[in-house]
Amino acid sequence: MHHLVRRALSVALAAGLLAAPAATALAESPAPSGSASAGKVTFTVGILSDVDSTNPFTGIVVEAYETYALMYDYLVTSSPKDVSPMPSLAESYQEAPDKKSWTYKIRSGVKWSDGQPLTARDAAYTFNRVIEGDFEQTNYGNYVTNIERAEATDDTTLVLHVKKPTPIMERLAVPILPEHIWKDIDGTEVKSYANEPEAGQAIVGSGPFRLIERRKGQFLRFEANKEYWRGAPKFDELVFRVFLNADAEAQALTRGEIDFAYDLQSNVFESLKNKPGITTRSSNYPGFNEIAFNTGAALADGTPIGDGHPALKDKQVRLAISQAIDRDVLVNRVLNGHGSAASTFIPPMYPALHLDPATKQNFDPAKANQLLDAAGYPKGADGVREKDGEKLTLRLFVREGEESQATGEFVKTWLKDIGIEVTVKVMSEDALTEIIGQGEYDMFEWGWVVEPDPDYQMSVFTCGKRSYKDGDSIFADLSDSFYCNPEYDKLYEEQSGETDPAKRAELAKRMQQMVYDDAAYAMTYYYNDMVAYRSDKWTGFVPQPDPDGSLLFQYGIHSYLSIEPVKPSASAAAASSGESSGMSSAVIGAVVGGIAVLAVAGVLVARRRRTADADERE
Amino acid sequence: MATATTAPGVPPTPAVPARTPFLAGTRGYVIRKISWSCGTLLFVLVFNFFLFRMLPGDPIGLYSRGRNMAPEQLIKLRAQLNRPIGTQFLEYLSNPFASTINSVRFNRPVWELVGERVWPTVLLVGTAILIASVAGVWLGIRSGWRRGGTFDRVTTGTTNTLYAMPEFWVGMVLLIALPFFPSGGISTPGVTGFLDTVLDTAWHMVLPVTALAIVYLAEYTSIMRASLVDELRQDYLQLARAKGLREDLVRRRHAVPNALLPTMTLIFLNLGFVIGGAITVETVYSWPGLGLLSYEALRGPDIPLLQAVFLLFSLGVVVFTLLADLLYAVLDPRVSTQ
Repeated sequence: MHHLVRRALSVALAAGLLAAPAATALAESPAPSGSASAGKVTFTVGILSDVDSTNPFTGIVVEAYETYALMYDYLVTSSPKDVSPMPSLAESYQEAPDKKSWTYKIRSGVKWSDGQPLTARDAAYTFNRVIEGDFEQTNYGNYVTNIERAEATDDTTLVLHVKKPTPIMERLAVPILPEHIWKDIDGTEVKSYANEPEAGQAIVGSGPFRLIERRKGQFLRFEANKEYWRGAPKFDELVFRVFLNADAEAQALTRGEIDFAYDLQSNVFESLKNKPGITTRSSNYPGFNEIAFNTGAALADGTPIGDGHPALKDKQVRLAISQAIDRDVLVNRVLNGHGSAASTFIPPMYPALHLDPATKQNFDPAKANQLLDAAGYPKGADGVREKDGEKLTLRLFVREGEESQATGEFVKTWLKDIGIEVTVKVMSEDALTEIIGQGEYDMFEWGWVVEPDPDYQMSVFTCGKRSYKDGDSIFADLSDSFYCNPEYDKLYEEQSGETDPAKRAELAKRMQQMVYDDAAYAMTYYYNDMVAYRSDKWTGFVPQPDPDGSLLFQYGIHSYLSIEPVKPSASAAAASSGESSGMSSAVIGAVVGGIAVLAVAGVLVARRRRTADADERE
Repeated sequence: MATATTAPGVPPTPAVPARTPFLAGTRGYVIRKISWSCGTLLFVLVFNFFLFRMLPGDPIGLYSRGRNMAPEQLIKLRAQLNRPIGTQFLEYLSNPFASTINSVRFNRPVWELVGERVWPTVLLVGTAILIASVAGVWLGIRSGWRRGGTFDRVTTGTTNTLYAMPEFWVGMVLLIALPFFPSGGISTPGVTGFLDTVLDTAWHMVLPVTALAIVYLAEYTSIMRASLVDELRQDYLQLARAKGLREDLVRRRHAVPNALLPTMTLIFLNLGFVIGGAITVETVYSWPGLGLLSYEALRGPDIPLLQAVFLLFSLGVVVFTLLADLLYAVLDPRVSTQ
């Protein structure tokens, strides 16, 4: 062998050796217990974004909160029927007559997965840790703002002392952690604490599932807690598998690799319809989208900032724009029908709190034109309205992503019809956040997801949540319309101390009416949550709220406790018919197109070769 | 060369014999290349720091969005970023690989994040490059030696067509056409034991590696073919034939070794980009690699993470370029004596 070839080969060998540690690195982490999944019934959920952290003080995505709900217990949860507060680890709770504390009766006999008993002391520890903590405040700070301290008077009694009466006490979504584990993780260590299982040792929790294996970016594997106080789950293992694209997720569902596909886009969703063994479901979801206005950007102290168009300070102009929007078209064309026209900022999924306004800002271009005429914006020669020589030309910022951009184009057309010129600009959510905080916009398209407790969402429209200044820089707070109405603020203060649910709901409705009438937002739609699952293998899902709500990723873990495998005989037949590999129409198109391209390319290459040969022969 | 005049009585310093050029020869070549690489690295370090300080955006605002954070905590976080730039730079220079800096988006030490993403990417892209280069070199030799033959036409046509196809598309087609392979990921939940894990990983690697290798293949084939064709008319091949060597030996012992240099360059350049990952293939097959991590970091922008990822990418390219340079000297001694 020539020495150069030999050297080249040894180089190649060296490269191979370099790759070897990679292989072993991936191959390590064998779990000693629970050797194979033979005979175990596993429910696998496909998710499109990985759990960012299994440490309940760190993670932020929906998938992470679902993980915490599976691993730990909460004092209270939300009922599957109508998302109202429901006792959970606390069998019962009540506010003291002097309104200075709340007492929670902790269920007795609940055990941590390592055998230690779960007592009120664990609950008190958890709350005090958040109250006194720094990093611990990141995810749960808002829940404990009004809690002075937590105290366990005995093993089953937790007393939370409050600074002032607050309704949040029925919605404390703080996972109760085992003191004997977390007391060893101090305030600094907790920031980088992974809370992941090592060597197959489950994370200590009290929830219906225990995290036993986690591969970042790949999957999380849970083992059922057969002694769970609400009853044992009816399967053995739960897996969350991460997909980085929805087509692959749909593919895995049709093949039966997963049982439930979460977070589908509408084109993939449509492709899964009518597949044997698969049920698609578009559920009510507590999210809305809106066109937000710059109603007069200012700091929380009232100092004006930004460069918003002055016309939008006029409520009549905002109302006119709201009435120029055809919400039904948006629902049908942008959402493919998976949603409904929106009105107020608490979605109808919360029937107790949602306000259905008596008079709606329906699509009515004639009315919109009238409003603008009356507001003093006559149409110019070119059809664009103007006041004092200034054209009514507005910027509309939309986000990357099909839905936002499509909405932007529709709105542009509709506003042109009523004499408002709109320039649409697409930008990343991150860039948009920055611009909103500075008040440097006229309108933008975005949305919110509303929690069962409406406090957070209602605070968005208070004067105090407008941007603030720190040094020379201006920073965004929650407000993205700079809506400021002292009357609204008064109602907000009032509701934040109102512990009677009925009275509070009344206040919430008045607040929604106010924001709706003042048109801080032109609300566009409430959107649905799209999922698909193997109905040939699984049954018993509990929708929240009943009957049109979500099946999984709810406020609570109701479905996980009741789903069960379909009886074997029926499932075997259905499964075999459901195995035919399916694909979304987009993918079929791509495949056909690709084959055509290949064929043409092949012919071209062959022809070119032939001529080349001819040239050479000459 | 004359010696310098010295004070009387002091013996003259011995004459320097023949003056050799500064850093000549193989050792000089090596030292030159290494110092050049170090210089590049230093530049990258400095540039990396200031580049990300110039990006617009409010990282704290991004971090706090969607979290129930108390205002005092936000102020504290801001104070961290508002420290004098000089202080921050010194802190960075003292240890660019410090594990104390947290990623804004993931809220974890950046090098820990990078560490767990780097092996899947190295495994995926490294294997693909290995397969593609071995197969590509072989195909290139075959088709170049018999230029214009049927084998050449088929190979060149096919590889060029494959090269023209987008990676994600090849990935999707393979995914749908071969339903017996897993639809994504690196491993199956619950698989344990060393051998089982290795087999399981290999099973998951089949599709993504094939998709990547198919696309890379054309590069190696055409470079190898072109450089071999260049050698075909060289006199030394005639001489070898005149010596009576078999055609096979002429190719293997004389033509191929001389034609191998450009291909080696390409292989090492590509190896440098290995850690950059293959974002598209990683996306199609849900492969948690570095390509995706850098994409997520850029969206933030997650400055600490971006800094780490960019540093690692630059490091990869610099190190492998250096290795390639050094290997030239081994493969072809002419390089270092020039």
